[in-house]
Amino acid sequence: MRRVTAWSLLLCLAALHAQPADAASAAYKLGVAAPLTGPLAKMGADIRQGVQLAVDEVNAGGGFRGQKVELVVGDDKGDPREGMVVASKLVQSGVLGVVGHLNSGISIPASKEVYAPASVAMVTPASTNPQLTERGLRNVFRTIGRDDQQGKDAAAHVLARGIRKVAVLDNKNAYGQGLADVFRRTFVAGGGEIVLSDSVTSGDKDFTPTLTRIKARRPELLFFGGEYQDAGLLARQARRVGIRVPVMGGDGILDGTFVTLAGQKAAEGTLATGPGGSSQKGFKVVYTKRFGEPGAYSAYAYDAAHVLMAAMARAGKADRKAVLAAVASTRNHPGATGKITFDRKGDQPNFKFSVWTVQDGRFQLLP
Amino acid sequence: MDWELLAQQVLNGLTIGSMYALIALGYTMVYGILQLINFAHGEVFMIGSFLGLGTLMSLEKWVPGLGVVPSLAAALIVAMSGAALLGVAIERIAYRPLRHSPRLSLLITALGLSIILQNGIMLLVGTEDRTYPERFTEALQEGFDLGTVHVAWQQVLTLGVALAFMSALTWMVQRTRLGKAMRATSQDPVTAGLMGIESNRIVALTFAMGSALAAVGGLLFGLNYSINFFIGTQAGLKAFIAAVLGGIGSLPGAVVGGLLLGVIEALGAGYVSGTWKDVFAFVILAVVLVFRPAGLLGRPVVEKV
Amino acid sequence: MPLTLRKPLLLGILLVLPALLLSLPQGEYQLDVAMTVLLYVALALGLNVTVGLAGLLDLGYVAFFGLGAYATAILMHGGPAEAAAAGGWSYWMAVPAAVAVAGFAGLLIGLPTLRLRGDYLAIVTLAFGQIAKLTENNWDALTNGPQGMEVAKPVLFGLELRAGWQLYYILLLFVLLTWWSVRNLNNSAIGRAWVAIREDEIAAASTGVNVPRIKLLAFVMGASIAGLAGSFFAVKQGFVSPPSFDFIETVTILAMVVLGGIGSLPGVVLGAAMLAALPELLRSMPTLLGLEGQFDVTPYRMLLYGAAMVVVMALRPEGLLPDAHRRAELHPHEDRPESIPGREEARA
Repeated sequence: MRRVTAWSLLLCLAALHAQPADAASAAYKLGVAAPLTGPLAKMGADIRQGVQLAVDEVNAGGGFRGQKVELVVGDDKGDPREGMVVASKLVQSGVLGVVGHLNSGISIPASKEVYAPASVAMVTPASTNPQLTERGLRNVFRTIGRDDQQGKDAAAHVLARGIRKVAVLDNKNAYGQGLADVFRRTFVAGGGEIVLSDSVTSGDKDFTPTLTRIKARRPELLFFGGEYQDAGLLARQARRVGIRVPVMGGDGILDGTFVTLAGQKAAEGTLATGPGGSSQKGFKVVYTKRFGEPGAYSAYAYDAAHVLMAAMARAGKADRKAVLAAVASTRNHPGATGKITFDRKGDQPNFKFSVWTVQDGRFQLLP
Repeated sequence: MDWELLAQQVLNGLTIGSMYALIALGYTMVYGILQLINFAHGEVFMIGSFLGLGTLMSLEKWVPGLGVVPSLAAALIVAMSGAALLGVAIERIAYRPLRHSPRLSLLITALGLSIILQNGIMLLVGTEDRTYPERFTEALQEGFDLGTVHVAWQQVLTLGVALAFMSALTWMVQRTRLGKAMRATSQDPVTAGLMGIESNRIVALTFAMGSALAAVGGLLFGLNYSINFFIGTQAGLKAFIAAVLGGIGSLPGAVVGGLLLGVIEALGAGYVSGTWKDVFAFVILAVVLVFRPAGLLGRPVVEKV
Repeated sequence: MPLTLRKPLLLGILLVLPALLLSLPQGEYQLDVAMTVLLYVALALGLNVTVGLAGLLDLGYVAFFGLGAYATAILMHGGPAEAAAAGGWSYWMAVPAAVAVAGFAGLLIGLPTLRLRGDYLAIVTLAFGQIAKLTENNWDALTNGPQGMEVAKPVLFGLELRAGWQLYYILLLFVLLTWWSVRNLNNSAIGRAWVAIREDEIAAASTGVNVPRIKLLAFVMGASIAGLAGSFFAVKQGFVSPPSFDFIETVTILAMVVLGGIGSLPGVVLGAAMLAALPELLRSMPTLLGLEGQFDVTPYRMLLYGAAMVVVMALRPEGLLPDAHRRAELHPHEDRPESIPGREEARA
């Protein structure tokens, strides 16, 4: 009995002692934090692989002055509490910057409570909540656009098509709701009419009751704020209940899996806002060769890692403050998602969302 | 009041509800015989769904010309037998050794099992959502109109298959010797044992049948929606609630509870909001339990003094 | 194990462990892990009152934790999330209010449901947990929905407490307070009434125990402790959002209680410490074994966690540090309490 107790106490202590070797030893460390287990694990894997690709590219080129960049991986499980623990673990392991997190609900507290006091630059490839960069923090950046930019661009596109009656749905998580809210506001301000506005619960599989309700209102387009897992099923079931108008979403649905989930016929003609594809092609080829089709956030994560590593190179030393300053001064960095320039808040003011559509079973950039 | 819209929503609800009912039967059967909440049951459903997917994909690959119906039949057989084996294994390895432990220990074991199965499947198949091959789902997407009510073939198939299996189960339990043995064991395992019924075999059989039904639900679920390693949790929870709503331990109760839960959800989503529908389902459940604790069709539990 | 032996043990866990932690080469990560452990200790102590002492299976436990966190966030914000932040309460005012809110919710849920038995109570509380989470996610005007709410740090004598060690001591204080009150209550007449109810409710009622009131007390007390923990969680995180209050958290806390030993305070503390620290240990495994970068342990973490639960239950179902009463309830005919029950005994 006492042995059991003593043993378990030892275990606990060991857990607390367990930490990567002292921070000073390896110089150039880059952290990546995303949900690698749990329901969001697929998107976490997309992020991790994008970062891995970037790090391997830099290391294949010799790293920095003969020193390789070391990647430190943290699993935040998509849970805010775990997210904070992982963040402090990354900080303690001596990372110079972090690519992450996926959920705005983790990025917001972690950037303020953990990364800011340690002067660690956090570049998120996926948190689009406007609030994130509105808090006067100097260490927060994103390679992705904000929901308010995206929602505006999407509404403008729909209005430009001459569509005036739209049903708006979101999946009631931070991303989906933020995007749909801005879309609603912009669309109504531009003279459009929202015939029905509702939310579904993310992860639900049966949307037919909501869609039946939408069908009765006869919209000309169905806008959905949410990720491709929900959107794919929504498009599939929209067709089943007999809705024949196009579905539109944000960059969260810009993923090859969307077409698989929706089925080719139902996916055809779907619209999505997302990054313009200037150098996307090159990235896509390399990424696909190694990991398969890139996910919605792979390219943003790849860019975030390159931005951080370019900043390390410019800083010229493994010093967090210097790296942070260098990240903040990023101008016209040629990334897979376009040219990256951060403003004082850490946003990309010039980020312009393009519109993609599913044609022949693939997302293609609209001319 | 738009009656056609209402009918459409009820149909939507019956479709998902019939899947809840199939899973709920497993909960209720196991509970009836062991008074155990088998929390890992949702994962059996999930694994059944993946077995169906695996079979269909292998058939596509190795027997390209095989028709839709034989393929689906093969998938059904594989999924059902695989799930049945899994259910028996779970009972034999995890539950039987603990049969006389406190109920909470069993519950923890069940939860632990559920975590193991879920993450084991995640390691095997990855985290991505998957759908059944389009060849099987595409034709079912279409449908016909009854007045203005649109009926998809998928709904016809789902309801038909679910009802067929539920009737078969009812017949088996009510009319066969095996069913009689099951009922006897659930009423009083000790006396049943004295009458020459091997209760361990009956328990194993119960797990096998409940799991096979969950696999039927899993296959239908895969044909209708997308699947991932995580679906067992949500579906299991809903089915558990359905079982309690109908009266846990009662087979017709599980069916009624499942269908009712599906319809309540559909009406909630169809007339109020897609996010509040679960709240309605849970509130109605709580109300039923407070005023009729044994569920709609369950027998009131007599306290043993 | 006689009581005299267990006392130093629990002192060891509660006092020596934190002392050891703080004497370590400190880091924010270690402090974070230590706070996670202590937070779960508090939560497990609370659930133990409901499940362990009174024998009521509460599957909506995490909802009270969430209520405490949201009550704190809203009060410190000075009103619903939608209203502009103005004149929020101080943290020290918000804590008792959050505890009261959670306790009152416990009363509201408990009053109509406690007459239900066992599994039905479990399912009603489970439903309540889901409703609470969905409400937090959907009532945008009050909670800001999925976007979450920011929470300020506690201020003491004009000093903002944001350093890890400052928060750590607040939490330690809360945990000791919880421990002390649960222990005293358990050693009082109420504690004996709980044991009586657990062993035989009908017999307890016939000897004059006011069963519904005693049950309700346990339920409300568990809820209040969860509210206290939630109130700390809100300021520690600096942000509250619905994903923190998932059903799986209740499951985790329940596992801690049962693993350590239902009804046993030192056992529950041990269970909470182990299960809260285990994922961190597993997170660090490749580093410890010198395999960093060669082997990704991440996907196996949850798997091992589940396996640990099953294996411990199979080998030692009454938990690692069983309560003397529990042990007697589980093994009525056993003379030697030190023996470990195997399958044969379980079957007998």
